[in-house]
Amino acid sequence: MECRSSVDIFTEWDIVAARQLGRNEAKSIGFGTVDQARITTAISELARNIYLYAGKGNIKIERTYDNNQYGITIIASDEGPGIADVRKVMNDGYSTSGGLGAGMPGVRRLMDEFNVQSEQGVGTTITAVKWLR
Amino acid sequence: MNLSVELSKEDSVQRFHIAGEIDAFTAPVLKDKLAEVQDVPGLQAELNLTDVTYIDSTGLGVFVGFYKTLKANDGYMKIIGVNDRVKRLFEITGLDEIIDIEKGVGENRDATL
Amino acid sequence: MPKEVEKQYKALVNRYINTKSENDLYAGQKFSRRFIEKEISPEEVIGIHKSALMELFPDAPEDFWHSFDFLIEMMIHYGLALQEHQSLIRKQEELELEMKIAEKVQNTLLKTRVPTFSDLDIGFLTVPAKQMSGDYIYFLSDDSNYASVAVADVIGKGIPAALCMSMIKFGMDNMQKQNSSPHVVLDVVNRIVEESVDDSMFISMFYGKYEVDGSVFSYASAGHEPVLLYKAASNTFIELDAKGLLLGVQPNATYEERSVVLDEGDFIAMMTDGVTETRTEDGFIDDEIIKEILTTVKDESAQKIADTVYQQLGEMQNFHLHDDFSIVIFKKGYKN
Repeated sequence: MECRSSVDIFTEWDIVAARQLGRNEAKSIGFGTVDQARITTAISELARNIYLYAGKGNIKIERTYDNNQYGITIIASDEGPGIADVRKVMNDGYSTSGGLGAGMPGVRRLMDEFNVQSEQGVGTTITAVKWLR
Repeated sequence: MNLSVELSKEDSVQRFHIAGEIDAFTAPVLKDKLAEVQDVPGLQAELNLTDVTYIDSTGLGVFVGFYKTLKANDGYMKIIGVNDRVKRLFEITGLDEIIDIEKGVGENRDATL
Repeated sequence: MPKEVEKQYKALVNRYINTKSENDLYAGQKFSRRFIEKEISPEEVIGIHKSALMELFPDAPEDFWHSFDFLIEMMIHYGLALQEHQSLIRKQEELELEMKIAEKVQNTLLKTRVPTFSDLDIGFLTVPAKQMSGDYIYFLSDDSNYASVAVADVIGKGIPAALCMSMIKFGMDNMQKQNSSPHVVLDVVNRIVEESVDDSMFISMFYGKYEVDGSVFSYASAGHEPVLLYKAASNTFIELDAKGLLLGVQPNATYEERSVVLDEGDFIAMMTDGVTETRTEDGFIDDEIIKEILTTVKDESAQKIADTVYQQLGEMQNFHLHDDFSIVIFKKGYKN
């Protein structure tokens, strides 16, 4: 069972649109208020990174079903400069948005699954999943 | 203690006016500032230490590192305006034998900076 | 498990609303530890609070519940900051453990044995300012003909400095059999260091060698502070310095070697700049202070002289050392 929708990120307003889309989806899947806020924050961070560092990109929200569990998948993709050292970005204390954002480690903590694929000069795709408990 | 580093370029010479104490806390400031220019081939650098009151061993390390990098890049480094305490440090360490050190500032170059 | 916590929280909050007693607030404070133990994040706590209240006050206005959603949103970053903080603390604990192990390795690796001589009394003391020392004292001797000491100060502390020291140690050990003279030792160590270290890393080192035959003390210095020679006959101090560049700056440096003859009661004080550049609230100490301290204990054993200098200069800075503090005393005379 899958349901897809996506938002292109060009301006800061698009970040809000992506948040709204994610929150509606999370709500309809059945996530509680706290998890809705977590998922939305994760989307917000990912969209912000696209806006700040890649200029443009896309956030996809998917309803996921696996192993008798419902969940939500966020796919953030861009064709920006890519991340030179993914391990460094995932370290606590290192924030790509200059200390203001929660950064990648934050997104990983907010979600249950987290995967980064990045190639310099080609772009970055980040996939994050949260399962409904 | 504070440290300030001002850089000015005159002809082909990079002049650094350094003021304050150079110790373990402030040495990184100086190191970063010098690092901006140290890889320029054939760099002529003049470090004015008239307003430097104290240099500790970490600070000395910055000068040694800068000297070695410049030398490797066919550059040249000169130190001017050292006070007695700083001069003694360069003498004890034997650095006065390899680095061009002038005690006074000679002519008043500051006026043109 | 969180369901259990939610139930207990609801009961506690309900009791407090009814009693408004300090006792129930205290119960709440104790309960908050369970939240932390179970790693329940701040936003989760507000979520729990909200659902407890919804059950207790089902008729509260809708707007009231929305305000909680806003608060939850506010707390997400606090929760993340807390988790990041906890993870950094764990990392710090790991690093501290590694530092402790490194410190032990340093101590074992760099252990030195004080030579025993019938006509030369040797005392020394080295105190690190931080966990790992940048000062290095190493003795070489055959216990019958000569006793040498290297007093080195590595710029840069911690693990890089320790690695650098083991390099110096093995360089000197390799030369021990040849009973080399000070300028040769510095020459060899300089080449080892110059080849191996980073550009801004260097070492100052004093190398002194006492020979029983003729009571001669010969020495060379690689950018080290001059050492002090106390002459008992004239009750005066002489600065012993020798020209030589810091180790690790240039491969082809040459080191001047000098020598003095020690008479009964004479002693040599070799120190690192942590001693000579002692900093008190009023600034740096005067060189004369060290001489004054040395004079007061000139008739004591070498170890007592070293200990007294540390005791008195330590007191001046409330034992809050800015730099590693090392002193070695070679005293000519028969020990008691």
